[in-house]
Amino acid sequence: MASVTESEGTGLGGATRRQIQRVRDFADDTEPAALVTVTVMAIALLAAFVGFLLVSSLTIVPFAVFLLAAGYGWLRHQGPTAQVLTLTMTVSTLLILGLIIVFIFIEAVPVIRYESATVFGVSVPGLRMFIETRWDAVSDPVRYSMVPMIHGTLLVTVIATAVAAPLGVAAALFLSEIAPATVRELVKPGVEILAGIPSIVYGFIGFTVLAPWASDQFDLTGQGTYLFVGVVVGLMALPTVVSVAEDALSSVPESMKSGSLAMGTTDWQTMTSITLPAAFSGVSAAVLLGVGRAIGETMAATVMLRGVPRLTDPLVNVFYGQETLTSLIARNYGEADGLQMDALFAAGVILFITVLVISIGSQYIEWRMRRTLGGEV
Amino acid sequence: MAGATQSQLVEQETSGTDAVAAAAVGVSAILFVLSILALFERITLTDPIAGLPTVTLLGGLLVVLGGTVMGFGVGSRLGYVETDPSTSAGLIASFAAAVPWFVVGGGVASETLGLGAAGGLVAGLLTGGLAFVATALPREDLGSTVPIGALPVLTGLVFLTGTIGPGWIWNLGWEQPASFTAEFVVPTVTLFNALFAGWAAAKAYGGFGARGRHMGAYTLVYLNALSIVAFLFILVAFVVVQGIPGVLTGVQVGAGVGPESTIFGLTFSWPISVPFVMNGVALLNDYQGVLPAIVGTFWLVVGAVLFAVPLGVGAAIFLTEYAERGRFTQIVEIATNGLWSTPSIVFGLFGFAFLVPRFGNQKSLLAGMLTLGFMLLPLVVITSREAMIAVPDEYRDASAALGVSRWQTIRSVVLPAALPGVVTGVILGVGRIAGETAPILLTMAGGTFVPGGQTVDVVGGFQFTATPPFVANPELLQATSALPYQLFALITAGVGLGQNVADPDGFRWATALVLLIVVLSFYAIGIGTRYYFRRQLRHE
Amino acid sequence: MSETTQTQTQTADDTDQPLTTVSGETEEQTQQEWVEYDFQGEAKLVSEDLDVYYGDDHAIKSVSMEIPEKSVTALIGPSGCGKSTYLRCLNRMNDRIKAARIEGSVKLDGQEIYQDGVNLVELRKRVGMVFQSPNPFPKSIRDNIAYGPRKHGDIDTGLLARLLGRDDTDEEEALVERALKQAALWEEVHDRLDDNALGLSGGQQQRLCIARCLSVDPEVILMDEPASALDPIATSKIEDLIHELAKEYTVVIVTHNMQQAARISDQTAVFLTGGELVEYDDTDKIFENPESQRVEDYISGKFG
Repeated sequence: MASVTESEGTGLGGATRRQIQRVRDFADDTEPAALVTVTVMAIALLAAFVGFLLVSSLTIVPFAVFLLAAGYGWLRHQGPTAQVLTLTMTVSTLLILGLIIVFIFIEAVPVIRYESATVFGVSVPGLRMFIETRWDAVSDPVRYSMVPMIHGTLLVTVIATAVAAPLGVAAALFLSEIAPATVRELVKPGVEILAGIPSIVYGFIGFTVLAPWASDQFDLTGQGTYLFVGVVVGLMALPTVVSVAEDALSSVPESMKSGSLAMGTTDWQTMTSITLPAAFSGVSAAVLLGVGRAIGETMAATVMLRGVPRLTDPLVNVFYGQETLTSLIARNYGEADGLQMDALFAAGVILFITVLVISIGSQYIEWRMRRTLGGEV
Repeated sequence: MAGATQSQLVEQETSGTDAVAAAAVGVSAILFVLSILALFERITLTDPIAGLPTVTLLGGLLVVLGGTVMGFGVGSRLGYVETDPSTSAGLIASFAAAVPWFVVGGGVASETLGLGAAGGLVAGLLTGGLAFVATALPREDLGSTVPIGALPVLTGLVFLTGTIGPGWIWNLGWEQPASFTAEFVVPTVTLFNALFAGWAAAKAYGGFGARGRHMGAYTLVYLNALSIVAFLFILVAFVVVQGIPGVLTGVQVGAGVGPESTIFGLTFSWPISVPFVMNGVALLNDYQGVLPAIVGTFWLVVGAVLFAVPLGVGAAIFLTEYAERGRFTQIVEIATNGLWSTPSIVFGLFGFAFLVPRFGNQKSLLAGMLTLGFMLLPLVVITSREAMIAVPDEYRDASAALGVSRWQTIRSVVLPAALPGVVTGVILGVGRIAGETAPILLTMAGGTFVPGGQTVDVVGGFQFTATPPFVANPELLQATSALPYQLFALITAGVGLGQNVADPDGFRWATALVLLIVVLSFYAIGIGTRYYFRRQLRHE
Repeated sequence: MSETTQTQTQTADDTDQPLTTVSGETEEQTQQEWVEYDFQGEAKLVSEDLDVYYGDDHAIKSVSMEIPEKSVTALIGPSGCGKSTYLRCLNRMNDRIKAARIEGSVKLDGQEIYQDGVNLVELRKRVGMVFQSPNPFPKSIRDNIAYGPRKHGDIDTGLLARLLGRDDTDEEEALVERALKQAALWEEVHDRLDDNALGLSGGQQQRLCIARCLSVDPEVILMDEPASALDPIATSKIEDLIHELAKEYTVVIVTHNMQQAARISDQTAVFLTGGELVEYDDTDKIFENPESQRVEDYISGKFG
C-alpha cells in the first residue's frame, strides 16, 4: 500500500521536485533494457494519441509500436512495464476529463460570441444568452437564449430535490439504524434496483401514463408538466441520496450511539441528536449528489416535456413543462446545424460546469467532515 | 431533581386507552389506502362505495379520525389517560401544524372570500400563527393533538356538507391555464390529513413525550420505506403486465420452429421461437422484433467493458499501490468523481465532438462503445480502488517480507483479494450503461426500424486492408440501434408507428420490458455476486 | 461440572493445599457457598441464574449475585470470561446485540428488569454506564452533561422555551456545575464549558463521561474498565473519584487490573473462563485468603 509521506517542500514547487526525484529513483532502480522498453512504450503511446487527435490515418503505426513494446516489456520486464502502464492509465482518466472540457468548450465558442451583450460599453460574450429570454432558431432575429431552459432545469431540480431529499434521508436512516436484518436485506437491494431502471423507461411510463392523467387532473391544455417531471426525476435521484447517506450514517461509531442509549434515550432521540448531526456532512453530500443527478437527467425529461423553449406563464406555473437544458440537447441534436448545434454545446457547458461544481462541493464537504471528526471516523 | 414526573420502571397495562389511539392510527391507514386508490382512479368520486357517496364516506372517516385524536389529547390532559407528555409539543410539531393551517386560511380568504392574494397572505399568517401558538403553548398532549386533529375534522365537515363535492373546480386563472379539480384535490387532501393525523395518533399511542415522538417518527419512516419498495414493485409489475403480450406475440414452441445455430459443427434448430427478440422489422415479417437492438446493446456493452475495465483497474492499481498520497492522487480523485457525476448527455456531446469526426464523420457502433466506455470508466476506478484499499496491509507486508517484488505482490495477492469487489462494481456499472440512451443518441443511433438483416456482425466483420490502418471492421463503423434508443425512437415516432407494426402500443411496452429485463438482470447478478462474496468472507 | 470437581477433589487430596470442605458437603454445595455473599444493608441489584448465549457460545453460566447498595463491587477475571457481558446485562445493553440470548433474572430494587413492559428509558436512567474508551459526544462540554436531562424532558432550554420565558437555564447551569464537581472536573473546565469535548485529554474525557452519567442522577453506576485506556495519573484520579462516588451511588466496576480492584472495591467477584462466577466475597478475603484454588491461582498470577 502506498505510504503517506510528509511534504518536505511547500506547494507546487516542492511537489514538482518530489515528482522529479521519484522519476530519477525509478530510472536508477530499473535496469537499462527495461528502461528503454518502457520509454519506447510511453513515447509510442503518446505519438499514437497525437495521431488520433489529428485524425491521421498513420495512427496505427505508433500504436502498433506501443503494442509491441508493451508486449515485449510484459514478457521480459513485467514490473517496470506494469508500473508505467498503470501510470499511463491513470493519466488517461485525467486526460479524458480534460478532453471533455476542451472539446465541449471549443464547440460552444461560436455561439457564445454570437450571443454577446454590451455592458457599460464593453462587449461581454455569452451574456445575452442569460439576459434575453427568447429561443428561436428559425425566425429573425435568431436567438439562442438559455433562460427558458435554465428556468425549466431549476423548477425540475427543486421539485426533484423536495421529493428525493426527505424521502431519501428517511430511507437511509431506516436502512442504517432502524431496519432489522431481514428487512434490510430486502429493502436495500430494492433501492438499488430502483436505481437500475433506465431513465427512458421512467420517461416512457411518465409519458404514456402520468402525463395524460395529469392533464386530466389539472384541466390542462396539452401534456407535459414540470411538476410531474420533477417527481419522476426525484424518484430517479432517490437511490443516489439513499446509498450515499446510508454510508455516512453507518460510519458513525457505535460507541457514540451506545453512549447515548446507555443514558436512557429512545432510539429516535439518539438518531436525531447524535447520529444525524455526526453524519451531517455525509448526508449533505448525499443530497448534493442527488441534486446533481437531477440536473443531469435527460431522457425522462425529453420524453415528458413539450419541447417548446419558453418561460412558463406565470413563472411558477409547474403545470406546464417546456424544456430543460438536457432535453433541449436530446431533442434537437438531429436537425441542429451550425450555430444551433453550438448552442446545444453551450447548454452542455452550463450543465457540465454546474454538476462539476456540485461534485467538487460535496467532495469538499466530506473532506472537511473527516478533518473535524479528528481524522478517524 | 430527577424528572418532574417519576416514571415507573414497569409500565402498567393500559389496553383500553391504547386501543383508542390504535384505532385512530387504523382509521388513518384506511384513509391512506382509500386516497391512493382514488388517485389511481380505482375508485371514483362519482361511484359510491358500499352505498355511500365517496366524498361523504371520506368526510365521515376524516371527522372520526380528527375527533378521536383530539379526544385522546383532551382525555390525557384531563387525566383520564395515562401518558408521559413533555411540557410542550416542540418547534417541529408547531411548524408542522402551522403550515397546513396557513394554507387553509390563505386559500379560504383569497378564494372563497375573494380577498385576493394580499388578503390571503394576511389571513394565512393569522391562521398559521394561531395554529403555531396552539401547538407550542399548551402541554404536549393537548398541543400535538388538538390543532392537528382539528384539520381532518374541518376537512371532513367540508366534504360532508358538500362544500367541496365531485363537481368542484378551482381555476387558477393563469395565462397557461390550470385548475385544481375535485378528482385531484379530494384524494390529495385526504391523503395529507391521513398522514398528518396518523402521525399525531401514533405519537398519542406512544404516550407522548420522547417515547411518543419515537413512535410517531418510526411510523412515518417505516411507511416511507414500505412505500418505496411498493412503488418499485408496482412499477416493475406494471411494465411486465403491459409488455408480456407484445413479447409473446407469435411465440411458438416445438421442434424445428426456431432459428438455426451451428455449434461445434452441429447444426440444429432451437425448439422455441420468440419473434419479438429474434426478428428485426421488415415488410415480409409475420411478426416484428427488436433483434438488431438487442445485438446492438450486447456489442455496446462488450466494447465498453473491454475499454473501461482494463483502463480503470490499471488506474486504480497505480493510485493505490504505486502512487503516494498527495496532490496527484487528490486531483485524480476529484477528476474521477467529477466524471462520475457528469450528465450522460454531456458524454454524448463529447462523443459527437471528439469521436465521430475521427471515425469517418458518421455515427458508428465504435463511437458508441467508446462513449459508454468513458461513462463506465469512473465507476470502475472508484469501485476497484475501494476494493483494493479494503485489502489489509498485512497481506502486502507478508508478501514483501518474503522478498516478493511489488508488482508480483499486486498480481498474486492484492488483485485476487480485490477481485470480488471489482467484479461486482463492473456488473453494476454495466447495468447502468446498458440502459443509457443519451450517450448513444448522438454517437451511434440510427434508424427506428432496422431490418433483421442489418444486425451487426462484429466478429465476422474484421478484414485486412492494404492501406493504413491495415485493419478495418465496417461493422463497427455502422450506425445501428440499441435497446434504449429503440424505445426512444418508438416513442418519438408516435402515430406513424402503426404503418410498420401491428400493435404499436404493445410493441413499445414489449421493447420497454425487454430493456428492463436486460438491465435488471445485470443488477440482479451484481447484487447476487456481492451477496455471495460477502457470505464467503463471513465464513472465512 | 461435577466431574471436574471430582477430579479436583482427588488431586486436592494429593496436595497439601486443602480445599475448604465442611464434612458432608459436596463440591457443588461448596461452590454455591463461595458465591453467596453475606453483607449488611440492602441489595441493589440481584441476578439469579443469569445465562447469556451468543449464538451457540454460552458466555455467562448461571450467575447469581447480589450487589449491595452504596458500595463498590469489582468484577475481575481473565480476558474473555464474561465480566463485561455480565455488566451489560445489568442495564440491558446486551439487547443491542442481535445474536445475544439472555435467560434468568435480574432485579433492581426487587423489580425484574427482564419482564415485558419494562421501560428501558427509565431503567437506564437509574442504571448508568461508563465505557472503556471515553466516548464524549462531538458537542460542547455543557451540551454533553446536559444531554441526558434534556432528552428526558427534565430540562428545557430550547428555543421555544426561551421565547416563552419558561426555560430552565438556571437549573441547567446548576446541574452542570454539580455533575462536574462530583466528577472532579469542575476546576479544570469551568471556564470553557462551551468548548468541544473532543478537545479534552483522555482522562478528562473519561471524567466528563462520568459527569454525564451522574447528571441524570442514577442510582447505580456501571463501569466497564473505565481506566484501562488512561495513563497512571489519570487512572489514580478516577480511582479517587470512584471512592467518593460510592458514598452516594452503587458502583459496579469491571477491571482486569487486580491491584486496582484490591485498592478501590469493597467486595470482589471473580469470573473465570467460560463465564463462570467462581467466588464472591469481601475484597480483603478474596485477595488474602480465597476459598477457591482456581481463584488463588489467578490472583497469584499462575494464569490469566
